[in-house]
Amino acid sequence: MKMKKFINAPENLTKELLEGFAVANGDLVHLEGNRMVVNNKLKGAGRVTIVTQGGAGHEPALSGFVGEGMVDVSVVGDIFAAPGPQACVDAIKLADQGKGVLYVVLNHAGDMLTGNLTMKQVKKEGLQVLKVVTQEDISNAPRSNAEDRRGLVGCIPAYKIAGAAAAKGLSLEEVAALTQRFADNMATLAVAVRGATHPSTGSMLADLGEDEMEVGMGQHGEGGGGRQPMKSADETAAIMLNGLLSDLSIKNGEKIMLILNGTGATTLMELFIIYRRCVELLKEKNIEIVANYVGELLTVQEQAGFQMFMARMDDELLALWNAPCNTPYFKKV
Amino acid sequence: MLLGKQQISNMFLAAAALWKANTGRLGDIDARFGDGDHGVTIGKIAALFEARVRDWRDEPIGDFIRGLGEAIMEIGGGSAGPLYGSLIGGMAGALADERGIDGPLLKNMLDASLTEMFELTTARVGAKTMMCAMIPAVEAARAAPGDVAAVLAAAAGAAALGAKNTENRIAKFGRARNYGEQTLGTPDAGAVSTALLFEGFLNGIRQE
Repeated sequence: MKMKKFINAPENLTKELLEGFAVANGDLVHLEGNRMVVNNKLKGAGRVTIVTQGGAGHEPALSGFVGEGMVDVSVVGDIFAAPGPQACVDAIKLADQGKGVLYVVLNHAGDMLTGNLTMKQVKKEGLQVLKVVTQEDISNAPRSNAEDRRGLVGCIPAYKIAGAAAAKGLSLEEVAALTQRFADNMATLAVAVRGATHPSTGSMLADLGEDEMEVGMGQHGEGGGGRQPMKSADETAAIMLNGLLSDLSIKNGEKIMLILNGTGATTLMELFIIYRRCVELLKEKNIEIVANYVGELLTVQEQAGFQMFMARMDDELLALWNAPCNTPYFKKV
Repeated sequence: MLLGKQQISNMFLAAAALWKANTGRLGDIDARFGDGDHGVTIGKIAALFEARVRDWRDEPIGDFIRGLGEAIMEIGGGSAGPLYGSLIGGMAGALADERGIDGPLLKNMLDASLTEMFELTTARVGAKTMMCAMIPAVEAARAAPGDVAAVLAAAAGAAALGAKNTENRIAKFGRARNYGEQTLGTPDAGAVSTALLFEGFLNGIRQE
């Protein structure tokens, strides 16, 4: 089937999207090398800096969060594919302003291979780097086996926590510990109702029937079990919210962050309807939402569906979440 | 038979040609339980094989292979980049500044490559990954008679069988793992591309 996408030669997708992204946000970021998106205020920043890596095709993630108070350098691979280790070593060297680098990696096969090879190399070169892996998809492994959990939208609030901790002037160890504490207390569950097209090949990812939805899908709409008849917004909200509350063992009286991340083709209208139901259900359980976001942070092309993200919050993490930041796709004043 | 610069070049060019002819098929296999881009990545690595062979001046075989491995690592192809970068680059671990490779040295190169792969992945035969082709290929090469042609023929045969056998396995690694038993009947895209690599290498020494 022919793709209906506004693209040119498929092999130039990543290059062209990065060029456009950088000129559209030139006040905040610039491109270095051919695959690094860099915070304009990186040079001379007397603090810990934040580096991340990942595939393209998930805009605004990940490079949309490069800027003050979040990520300093993002290394982009290709569409849905991780960059190589040398590119990440180069990015870490560029990012290092003498206080060390926090390197955030999402748990996906290619990213983890690159992450491990990168850490091997930076240790050999004596650089001060700590790695935090985000792995919070509750659908593909139990919490006891977190290493098999995939990294979904949770990397983005994790960047916010890390960037704010770094901006406070904390040490690399402290920044890493806070980010890890947040990451250990977060969970995501995704639902897909319609698949996406791989923009380089035109092949369909996931194949859902007209009246089906799939709960638990991963970043690219891969399957994962929960295929079921399409449900209403309120029913879907309840299924997903209860899954997350139970995974995190959130009790009455606790405070949480709740994010609804549209994956590309699900409308804000739908997300607001679902969010409203989440608030009602949480009120009944006396659980307070102290931080939230509803919109598109990490998409999968034109996939229809959303990711529901929840994290257990405390006053220290909340202050970091509320600290100012200025990036192309996430700002707090 | 001794593999010199000409023969090594032919091997990589023949592997590139075979990979290029199969990018569509690899993409289709990968789209069933992965994200559908294995054909694209393999096409990029094939183009890199061709460019590097074209630019190969007078450096020893080991330097050529090491440089090629490093370039593959940076291809930006998800896990295939580091994995094929290690498979190819790892072969240089057995080489100093030789200008010709005989059967025993070729076996050492394949051993060195497998050692490098073991450092990177815990996948073994049965996990439905490229290792299902790679491990039997290296084992068959080790057991083959000393001549390079016999070593490559044994490796190619075992890799093809290993790739075929992945059809009867349930995926344990990568994105396909989440599909469990649904993956029965479909081979692993990485194992198929590894089998094609060895078949291409064998084609390369058959042409003069």
